[in-house]
Amino acid sequence: MPDMAALAHPQQRQFNPYSENGGTILAIAGADFSVIAGDTRQSEGYSIQTRYAPKVFRLTDRAVLAVNGFAADGNMFVKKVKQRLEWYRHAHAKDMPLRAIARLIQTMLYARRFFPYYVYNILGGIEEDGTGAVYSFDPVGSYEREACRAAGAASSLVQPFLDNQIYFKNQRPAAGTSHPAHLPLPTVLSIVIDSFTSATERHIEVGDGLEMYVVLAKGRTLQGLEGIRGMQELTATEDGERVFIVRRDLKRD
Amino acid sequence: METSFALIGKGYVIVAADTTAARSIVKMKIDEDKIKELSSHLLMAYSGEPGDTVQFAEYVERNIRLYQIRNLYPLRPSAAASWIRRSLAESLRSRKPYSVNLLLGGYDLATHTPNLYWIDYLGTLVEVPFAAHGYGSYFALSLLDRYHDPEASVEEGLATLKRCIDEVSKRLVVSPGKYKVKIVDKDGVRELEI
Amino acid sequence: MNTFVQRFAESSATKQILAGNASVVEDDDFSDAAWGSEAGFGSLAKGVPSFMIPSVPDPASFLRLHTDDHADPSCRIKIQHGTTTLAFRFQGGVIVAVDSRATAGSYVASGTVKKVIEINPYLLGTMAGGAADCQYWETYLGMHCRLHELRNRERISVSAASKYLSNLVYSYKGMGLSMGTMICGWDKTGPAVFYVDSDGTRLKGDLFSVGSGSTFAYGVLDQGYRWDLTDAEAQELGRRSIYAAGHRDAFSGNTCNLYHVKENGWEFIGNYDITSLHYDGPGNVAGSPGHGYGYELRVEGHSASNPPPEVAQAITAEA
Repeated sequence: MPDMAALAHPQQRQFNPYSENGGTILAIAGADFSVIAGDTRQSEGYSIQTRYAPKVFRLTDRAVLAVNGFAADGNMFVKKVKQRLEWYRHAHAKDMPLRAIARLIQTMLYARRFFPYYVYNILGGIEEDGTGAVYSFDPVGSYEREACRAAGAASSLVQPFLDNQIYFKNQRPAAGTSHPAHLPLPTVLSIVIDSFTSATERHIEVGDGLEMYVVLAKGRTLQGLEGIRGMQELTATEDGERVFIVRRDLKRD
Repeated sequence: METSFALIGKGYVIVAADTTAARSIVKMKIDEDKIKELSSHLLMAYSGEPGDTVQFAEYVERNIRLYQIRNLYPLRPSAAASWIRRSLAESLRSRKPYSVNLLLGGYDLATHTPNLYWIDYLGTLVEVPFAAHGYGSYFALSLLDRYHDPEASVEEGLATLKRCIDEVSKRLVVSPGKYKVKIVDKDGVRELEI
Repeated sequence: MNTFVQRFAESSATKQILAGNASVVEDDDFSDAAWGSEAGFGSLAKGVPSFMIPSVPDPASFLRLHTDDHADPSCRIKIQHGTTTLAFRFQGGVIVAVDSRATAGSYVASGTVKKVIEINPYLLGTMAGGAADCQYWETYLGMHCRLHELRNRERISVSAASKYLSNLVYSYKGMGLSMGTMICGWDKTGPAVFYVDSDGTRLKGDLFSVGSGSTFAYGVLDQGYRWDLTDAEAQELGRRSIYAAGHRDAFSGNTCNLYHVKENGWEFIGNYDITSLHYDGPGNVAGSPGHGYGYELRVEGHSASNPPPEVAQAITAEA
């Protein structure tokens, strides 16, 4: 028996296929390396859904993608990017170069211009010329190559810190010295860790765990990484670039 | 749309306001004077809600005059600006606030300095070297940043004003036709032709 | 080659939108080519771009509901807005100048945006409105300009290129695209500037400025503009106008990118920090005034006071 009272009135429904799952991602490019990081908390409103939901994914040995925003869209998007890269591998017997992945991501995001993926993407890795690179995207595919970028819930907390520590914004070098164009990897890693511990302190949607991917250019030694605890290698090919992951705990309250 | 400009120069303030009085889509009058001479050395351009504008301007005019009669000396421009601002601020918190924006230009005989005040209907008061109200401000302020000079002669000041008026006529869709221009300097208030 | 051209030659977007309204277009409906050598083409794998459209009665209002931060600041998908761009034609070619700020609400999302899109070595497009819309469609326009060259053995005119873009975005009218762009270049007819926007407007002209800061740019630009400007003067005018907008419009700023289109294509003139322009000026470049643009700097020490001589003397004596 249908509810006649409900049928008597026109009912309005809104189609809302989006949610927001918190968290923050960040990437920094060095001279011959790139660091891509994200926390692992996934939440909706004030509830934590899981303390371990990765937001950063290895695409190839020289490309790592971080996705933030609506987790379901993000996971779907990463899956589709990986599929396209696999096809490319079958057709060309090599991995797609980073700048091409960036353009691919643009066209894939823009293909959903009228039904967007609610995701902010940051792509990090090594270019064909061996330099570290970071590409950041908006949800519908506008992108730009940068040296560093934070996105997600705590981006407005983290980005100003990076501007100051990476670009040396509003800092004046001591007399007779100049700011370095590129920071060494250990320094970058500690900046990333500090960014996330601070964001965890001041943003309720950030915390639980931190995953940092490190991509090293061809021929770069592990020099400077001796002190890094628990570093795990994920490299799959013999191309020369190497990918590592470093995990850290963040506060869980 | 209503537009007014004012700028300081060497020993003077020029105040200009368009002369259209509009109601809905109709121009009711094209030679309305929207700059009041509040005292011998004080000018006030007003714009905003029709009705409120003239009512408030006359209220100010009478009170400035009353002060002079009672005290045998006029209010200095800064004091007049403060009093006007306070009147607007009190009005804003009343049942029926005046919705009037003002440019107050005066020559302070005590310091031999021209003063210009930008005042809006919310009671915001700021002393500035040049000012504009209305849509014209979006075109004129950047222009004045570029061309204004506090030491400009009257001719140079008028030339800069002319640039503002020309720019607004060129770019603003609903640009006013004519402007009335008045100047105040050590010798008092007078009207200028452009 | 010919099949390649044919496949990319289709340009009717309307057809596809109509199809999309009838049933959901599956975005993984790839041609066999996508598996092979064209796997990297993104949504262009089929030759024409294809878009997934939500299966709701009114896709445009669905999009607006989730992306229009003007109407609803709490909407989730913030598309970047706020800009000042300008381009003008003069005796020596075309000057194109833009700012580099992207804002999402009141957050400065980026201060290093490239708002001049280098379509090819002799065509430039500017970016105002949706960053992705401009980037994507102007890149796409670049593809078609190249196809025009291959088919006709000559470069496309600025007029034709801008009309191609105009027709393209017009076919998406009402779907929520947002772009205000100037297509600038040099062709057989000389320097040319066309304004094209997502309403479908296309205007040929000498001087345009687009974006939230455009009125401020116009204020300086109009007053300094002449056809017979020298190259140095014209470059300085472009720079100064963007500075004016960066200074007065909160949604514009950070840096100014300056381009000059000449007979043999465009040339990048430079990137200028707007704060540096304020305090120090553009530095040692053509047309530089040799000092900062800031009003306070320019009038420093100037006084509007005019005390009579005897009073002035007394004041100086006191000091």
